[in-house]
Amino acid sequence: MRIRFLRTEGFRLSALYAGVFALSVVILGGFVLVITNQALRDQIVTFSATDIAAVRNGFASEGDHEAIEVVHQLMAGPANSGFYLLQRDGKVLAGNLPAMPTRIGTVEFSASGATHSRAVLGVGDFLAPGLYVFSGSDMARLRAVEAHILNVMLILFAVALLIAAAGGALVSRGFLRRTDAMARTCHDIMQGDLNLRIPVRGTRDELDRLAEAINEMLARISALMENLSQVSNDIAHDLRTPVTHLRHRLERARSDSLTAQDYRVALDAAIAKADEILGLFAALLRIAQIEGGERRAAFAPVELGALLTQMRDLFEPVAEEAGDALQLATPGQVPIRGDRQLLVQLFSNLIENAIVHTPRGTRILLSLSRTEGRAVARVSDDGPGVPCEEHERLFRRLYRREASRSQPGYGLGLSLAAAIAELHGAAIQLIDGPGLSVEIAFPLAAEEMEKA
Amino acid sequence: MAPVRFLVAAVKILLVEDDHETSAHIVYALNGEGHEVAVCHDGREGLESARAGGHAALIVDRMLPGLDGLSLVRQLRAEGNHIPVLFLTTMTGLSDRVEGLQAGGDDYLVKPFAFPELLARVHAISRRGVGGDSEPIRLRAADLEMDLIRRTVQRGGKPVELQAQEFRLLEYLMRNMGRVVTRAMLLEHVWDLHFDPRTNIVETHMSRLRGKVDRGHGGELIHTVRGTGYMLRAD
Repeated sequence: MRIRFLRTEGFRLSALYAGVFALSVVILGGFVLVITNQALRDQIVTFSATDIAAVRNGFASEGDHEAIEVVHQLMAGPANSGFYLLQRDGKVLAGNLPAMPTRIGTVEFSASGATHSRAVLGVGDFLAPGLYVFSGSDMARLRAVEAHILNVMLILFAVALLIAAAGGALVSRGFLRRTDAMARTCHDIMQGDLNLRIPVRGTRDELDRLAEAINEMLARISALMENLSQVSNDIAHDLRTPVTHLRHRLERARSDSLTAQDYRVALDAAIAKADEILGLFAALLRIAQIEGGERRAAFAPVELGALLTQMRDLFEPVAEEAGDALQLATPGQVPIRGDRQLLVQLFSNLIENAIVHTPRGTRILLSLSRTEGRAVARVSDDGPGVPCEEHERLFRRLYRREASRSQPGYGLGLSLAAAIAELHGAAIQLIDGPGLSVEIAFPLAAEEMEKA
Repeated sequence: MAPVRFLVAAVKILLVEDDHETSAHIVYALNGEGHEVAVCHDGREGLESARAGGHAALIVDRMLPGLDGLSLVRQLRAEGNHIPVLFLTTMTGLSDRVEGLQAGGDDYLVKPFAFPELLARVHAISRRGVGGDSEPIRLRAADLEMDLIRRTVQRGGKPVELQAQEFRLLEYLMRNMGRVVTRAMLLEHVWDLHFDPRTNIVETHMSRLRGKVDRGHGGELIHTVRGTGYMLRAD
């Protein structure tokens, strides 16, 4: 558990950065080393050349004697280069080096001393034919500077690694804390509490975005679950009533019926009741299916003006027979994307509501308008209306107003309408007085939006 | 109430349905009309029987062991078999109807269904199979005449003015002359409505149509079949 952060993404990233940083330290250090080395060598060569120039001057003015004198002075002097040699035809005249091969220009060799050999760098030249002079310096100084630079580099390298490791651990600990919280929440959700959500810090970073995406997914899942449990509840509780009624009828038929005709009437009534129950089942399943959203794949362009005209033609005779008037006001073509069959069912439900739940002589108006990029369809009537406080309940499954209990229907019309509207991304709302209006605001079809 | 007579010659029907209770129910209904029914409880067996031929119509369930109904019908159509097909399904599928028709089915019936609904649909599709592909130009019933090209209707030589949907309603009745058509069949074929409305849409439109076609003209042609639907009959 303790070193779990070693395996986190945060730690891996910081380790990578530390590596890159250390590599740059090495490259930089190597560069410094080469430059310094070159500068020191140049310095040694310059000093040596100056010494040789002094010996040459002595020889030019007073010959061998003075040249030997200058070498001795240089060897005793404070700024000496360290190693000197003056030889004629392989015989040492002065200096602290044994006779050596006469090479001119910059010369590097290792001289074996009493205890250990040392690397020598210097300059050699002839003062006259056969008279060779060399001045050089021990390279130990150069090696010491190199070693110093290497040490500094090593320390820098170690410090860089340490800082990177500490930073990585710190970052990963924070990262781990948040992912641990996410994992814990997920586990709690798996235990059954679908209402839990992953904490979001509001920093809009990667983890926040991930948390938000997971939360949205959870919201969708819990909406579907709620929908599912709502349907099972409806089936468990509300379907009991009609099934109980059916049972009562059959029981009474068995005890009361005297003739074959009595039985036939009772059985017809029982079949009608069973059909009603099956219809209720079908309607509940349909709502659940629409809310599941599977139909969205079958969306196609639908022209709402033509669709409402068709609805007017379909229901106008029905409204007339019920003593109502059905009118239509559309501004021509209003295209949206949707499922034609479901839209027909949506408007049928609303128009049938207006016909069934209002007294004779009601005027029903189908209207359509375009506002702010939306296609707004309205089914309004000038009937008695529904009080505002009851509006929300009207959308509830199987809710039936006191006044309409005697009418046919399951109390699912508006729930179905709402489900269809939601599938189409449309907002549905009830507007009170005078009468009742149901307003559905669809998003316009995309090509229509471009025109606007 | 007397049982509905569908006035159709007895035919041999192939039923592919794995649920024994449902198949017994359907066999009972069709036998009552004098039809002979061959039953298969498995998709592959059903396909073999359909290939063997000799049936006037095929009733097939969507969900079957061995080979599902859709695949069975697709296979038959691919082999050039034009037997009229009625699909049966449970009530859940919203897109099932379209899929069934696309696979080559002629009609679609959702379980559970009433006997008359099943019989009316079987009769309607089995006629389609015999009729062939030649599309008529005129439909005639006694002194009622419909011109499908000019979209005009005459009764006893006098023109009858009909709205578009009244014309479609009458056309459907005339195409199924002598056969019962149910409310659901009318809602689906005339108005493309695939749900059960709460208001009496079919009745009010039918009453308007009768007012124009039957009222004031000698014999009544459009008859109500109680509890089931309507029939256009020239007798």
